[in-house]
Amino acid sequence: MTAWKESAGGRRALTILRSRPFLTVAIVAAVWIVASFVSRGFGAYGHLRYLVELAAVIGLVAAGQTFVVIAGGIDLSVAAIVTVSAVSLPLLSWQGDPTGLTAVLAVLALTTTIGLVNGLGVALLRVHPMIMTLAMATFLQGLLIIIAGGSAVTAENPLVRWLGNARPAGIPAGVLLWVAVSVIVLAAMHATSFGARLFAMGANPLAAALSGVPVTSTTLAVYGISGFNSGLAGVLVLGMNGQGYVGIGDPYLLASIAAVVLGGTSILGGLGTYAGTIPGAILLVTITALITVVNASPGWRSILFGSLILGLLLLSGREQARR
Amino acid sequence: MNTVAPSGQAGALYWPVQLRRNVGVRSLFAVVMAFLVAYGFLFPGLLTASGFAKFTQSWFPLALVAMAQAILMLTGGISLAIGAMVSLGAVIAATTMTGPLGIAGGAAAVALTGVGIGAATGFIVVKLRLPAIVVTLAGSFIIGGAALLILPRPGGAIPEWLSDLLAGNTPAAFVLLMLIVLLWKLYLATPLGLSLYAAGENPVGAYRSGVPVDGARIAAYAISGLLCTGAGLFVAAQTGSGDPVIGTAFTLNSIAAAVLGGIGFLGGQGTMRGALAGSLLLSLMISVMFFLGFTPVAQYVAQGLIIIGAVATPQFRKVQQ
Repeated sequence: MTAWKESAGGRRALTILRSRPFLTVAIVAAVWIVASFVSRGFGAYGHLRYLVELAAVIGLVAAGQTFVVIAGGIDLSVAAIVTVSAVSLPLLSWQGDPTGLTAVLAVLALTTTIGLVNGLGVALLRVHPMIMTLAMATFLQGLLIIIAGGSAVTAENPLVRWLGNARPAGIPAGVLLWVAVSVIVLAAMHATSFGARLFAMGANPLAAALSGVPVTSTTLAVYGISGFNSGLAGVLVLGMNGQGYVGIGDPYLLASIAAVVLGGTSILGGLGTYAGTIPGAILLVTITALITVVNASPGWRSILFGSLILGLLLLSGREQARR
Repeated sequence: MNTVAPSGQAGALYWPVQLRRNVGVRSLFAVVMAFLVAYGFLFPGLLTASGFAKFTQSWFPLALVAMAQAILMLTGGISLAIGAMVSLGAVIAATTMTGPLGIAGGAAAVALTGVGIGAATGFIVVKLRLPAIVVTLAGSFIIGGAALLILPRPGGAIPEWLSDLLAGNTPAAFVLLMLIVLLWKLYLATPLGLSLYAAGENPVGAYRSGVPVDGARIAAYAISGLLCTGAGLFVAAQTGSGDPVIGTAFTLNSIAAAVLGGIGFLGGQGTMRGALAGSLLLSLMISVMFFLGFTPVAQYVAQGLIIIGAVATPQFRKVQQ
């Protein structure tokens, strides 16, 4: 009866079954199945597709966050960067740009630069990541109000509109973008030397530095990637919304951290994978959708959301016992 | 012969030790003094009784949340639920104090809620071994939701004489703060207080030496919760009513004040006087910028720059040496 467990294939199957990403996928599947029985219309293809489309934004932000967290840091400026991207893109559009591609590239360059500045502060000035990115978020918040003045700006950019609304082969363009980014992120994380350095740095920065890991440039790269991904998420959210305004990115700070942690990545660094963050993002959106179905007051909705994250954390986020 | 110092000599060591603990924050004290002088120059009313009262009242809640955050950071923890706790304290005070519970009952409800939620958070973080940053982030949603349930929109009331006592032309805020600092000194002399630094600096070593690490950390969360809801009560007294989102800004400011005051993120590094000086500096900065006519927007930008500058400067000097 236990013979299959002894075989090489069986052992590999067991490892996958016991892994954190698989557990998160199983939770998502269970919630979807139960919810579609309880609430009619929840399990419809259109509704599930809509959930994944919403999850794509969180997934993009959380991709950068996963890099930063695995490398032993944290990025609390992602929400502000999403807003910067969504607000500055409409302002950057000009006539000689029929596809809108240059404006998008300019915005991505801008947000990557913001991320690199975060990295500079963390790597060279040795400011704690939490302070550096919080201060950056405060700084950007002030700057945004100066630029946008509190009013919503409408995007006229064709590429952005396509990204937010088009459905090639029935799949939303935003989801396709997320799939493409996921493939690149997973490859970079688990199949390159850059990825290996990342895990080494997160597990023990001193040992990594002494073993020849270029800590400064790796840290810069990690925060740069986070800025780039948040910028990409801002472009997508602008396309889906049609309008950018100050505060549009606010929900994505908690969501990105929660998705990373629910996916089994240790908040202390050095352990985890983006493969867990993907179902983590879908799980978060599902929870939010279910809470909306319950039709509770804002207070109860907030309490439910916090309790569910806390409960899921018990399943996933345990730290190791002191010996 | 004299291997064990007689108690007289141990007492004589107290002040030199305290002076040495000041070394790290000496430059901060200098900056705070400079800002105080600048503030007194811009606003000569500071030296009058009412000016002093108003100034300490604007500092008081920030000082409390800075202490609340500093206690947690000293044990190697952190809280992102500070703002939500302040809001909860404010709405409980505003809804109970004019009701059947009265002022004493209302204040007791505020204090018990703070200690209870703080201890529960501490229990979850310490005993269930969950990362503090995520637990308190989720906790901020639960606590903020509870505040919204108690008081969905700004309202409620604080008895007028209490508002006048705490936030009128009296130095009550300053006296309370001195009292809290004194209590902190006393707490540090208790076994749990003594364990605080050990539990933060080296939890494994402290645990093996028989220090009640878990107890010290849970107690720190409970005290932190009490300070937060206390700050909420004061804010409610200041505004005369409750507001379910009034505390939001305190989360970031509490971390900023503690870090400006030289408290380290890894636990066991820093002093409470540093955190208090940090909160005073932050409060002064906001007031001075207000008097210089900065718009709130420019204040955000300047605040971000100053915080990074203040945290980065000591590192910069270390690199140059």
